[in-house]
Amino acid sequence: MNVITLFLFSIVVYNTVLLYGTLGEILTEKSGSLNLGVEGTMAIGAIIGYLAAVSTNSLWIGLIVAFIAAGLCGLLFAFLTVSLQANQNVTGLTITTFGLGLYFFIGKGFGSAWPALQSAPSVSAAYAAIEIPLLSEIPVLGKAFFSHSILVYLAVAIAVGLWLYLNYTKTGLRLRAVGENPSAADSVGINIILYKYIHIIVGSGIMGLGGLYMALVMGGSFEGSTCWINGYGWISIALVIFSNWNPLMAILGSLLFGFFNTLQVYSGSLANSFPEMFGWLSSIPAQLYQALPFIITAIVLIVTSIRQTQGGGGPEGLGANYFREDR
Amino acid sequence: MKRQNYFHVVKRDDVRLKRIILSYLLAVLIAIIIGGILLSIQNVNPFSYYKDMFSLGLIGNKFGYKQVEAFIKVFTPLLLTSVALSLAFKMRFWNIGGEGQFIMGAIGAGIVAYLLGDSLPSLIILPLMALVGALFGGLYGAFVAVLKVKYNTNETLLTLMMNYIALYLLKFFGETSGEWNFFLSTDSSRPLFASFPESALMIEIPTFFGYFSLNLSLVIALLICVAIWWYLKYTKRGYEIAVVGDSPNSAKYAGMKVSKIVVRTIFLSAALIGLAGAFYVSSAGTLSTSMTNSVGWTGIVVAWLAKLNTIAITVVSLLITVLQHGCSVASASYATVDANFANLLQGMILFAVLTADFFTRFKLVKTSKQEVE
Repeated sequence: MNVITLFLFSIVVYNTVLLYGTLGEILTEKSGSLNLGVEGTMAIGAIIGYLAAVSTNSLWIGLIVAFIAAGLCGLLFAFLTVSLQANQNVTGLTITTFGLGLYFFIGKGFGSAWPALQSAPSVSAAYAAIEIPLLSEIPVLGKAFFSHSILVYLAVAIAVGLWLYLNYTKTGLRLRAVGENPSAADSVGINIILYKYIHIIVGSGIMGLGGLYMALVMGGSFEGSTCWINGYGWISIALVIFSNWNPLMAILGSLLFGFFNTLQVYSGSLANSFPEMFGWLSSIPAQLYQALPFIITAIVLIVTSIRQTQGGGGPEGLGANYFREDR
Repeated sequence: MKRQNYFHVVKRDDVRLKRIILSYLLAVLIAIIIGGILLSIQNVNPFSYYKDMFSLGLIGNKFGYKQVEAFIKVFTPLLLTSVALSLAFKMRFWNIGGEGQFIMGAIGAGIVAYLLGDSLPSLIILPLMALVGALFGGLYGAFVAVLKVKYNTNETLLTLMMNYIALYLLKFFGETSGEWNFFLSTDSSRPLFASFPESALMIEIPTFFGYFSLNLSLVIALLICVAIWWYLKYTKRGYEIAVVGDSPNSAKYAGMKVSKIVVRTIFLSAALIGLAGAFYVSSAGTLSTSMTNSVGWTGIVVAWLAKLNTIAITVVSLLITVLQHGCSVASASYATVDANFANLLQGMILFAVLTADFFTRFKLVKTSKQEVE
């Protein structure tokens, strides 16, 4: 692969985790809940899903376990914020604190007995890249975009499915009503509590799938100091705003944010290979690339609020708990 | 449609202090027991671990009273940050940008220390660092407050983004070599934050016959806590904060300038966090990209656990510091228990408290037959 193909390929590999996180958070936020626990939820899905996958030597069991483990975080969030009326920001942050604590506690506990990915050949085989016929033969772009793990295609499929769900199904449209104006939705007989619970749990489950994906991208090696998720959960929260709560925009958004993320790694080799075209890349500080997703999102937040559009796709009731007796 | 709800939830009119304290103790106990079970699964004796955590965390052992100094360095920023955040939360302004404001305060103090530290004495340089640090932090927070009152920008998400912008700015200063970059040490070939000159180091007061020394910033931080407590309880401005938090509309009808109060209070809140950053770097003697030690996040937990009460915040931040510092010290002797065990415990305590909170705020009432129909 040449440098450009490799660069584009890496954008997809290292940032599909963002797509999972963003899709999970979009589903959660559409029900009116702002869950700041993405980072912790993904960390729990990652480590428990990974251990399940490696010990059973099956990627699929790993995915199911990751979904359930992360879904339980969602259940906890839903129980505390929906049923017990706890503050959403505090609860979400606590899930992140707790999740990262559990991640390191489990990982460190294994010590040198940490199970390597090599011990589970079927997992690696199921995770390996699948070339899409014809499309993967397109010069430069084919190998970059159409030769990936099945989990990358799964993320895209979830995005399309979520978009169809939110826009074209009865339950999806009702969910949006729950997020926009819970008391109005309640008065037409929608079971608010059930809707919130299900979507928060499924949303967290999707984040968990992303966690396991990232564990595999990192080769399953546990580092004592940095978590596999390493901030991707927080970027996902930013990406929800950037993509205007639209699952299809989230695909483009994760590529764009991924572009900046990955550029810091490849700016040197791109500049070396194409000095005339990309020579200037090496003179831009790497930290600027890393900060750009956050700067862009901050600008989007400010501009949309000035234009009074409230993010357009952002649910009106986001962040506020619904207490029926207050109606 | 027939609903079969046997209970419904009603808000309590009376929130008794005794009930709150009892439920909190129960919450902590539950977290410690679950933590103990987890430790046993890892083949660690929970009793000896907890004993070491508390004793090492709080006072060190007989060989090292220096532990107290390390403890103070963790405690002071957490205390200041938590008190500062409680000001914002009282107005329901969700400032989760403590990390960023702390970093901006540290950068401000760092600029003063690096540029003027060699030419000015301690008595001028230290107050100047505190002032610039507070100003940097305060403006970084007030920027969001202005947008919030003017355009109703979502402050939770914006402060979250600004945390990372500040972090990468700090990393830029710490990782970029260049003639212009006065943040870096000139002795090191790879980029490294320079140490502060002598005059920019926080004053240490020797106590107990030199066993350990007391960091001056702790004394100031405690005085600030008392001042904030007094400010909230006895001044007109403190009262305005309570009214705006309770109901912005009634504040408006009462003729208060809500926007002005919000911006002023958030500036104060963020400035105190910036001050915490300035104090921290002045005690550590240099900048570092990991210096916040998640204080902006932990501060939220502390403020919330303490129900935004200034006195309770002092107690809770002391306990959380014991937990965090104790676990990080104990991780040296327990190879399989990570320092992050503190976060696990902290998370469980908060889950239990959030659950207990419900029962102090609401009660379940049996639904009578007539209501079901």
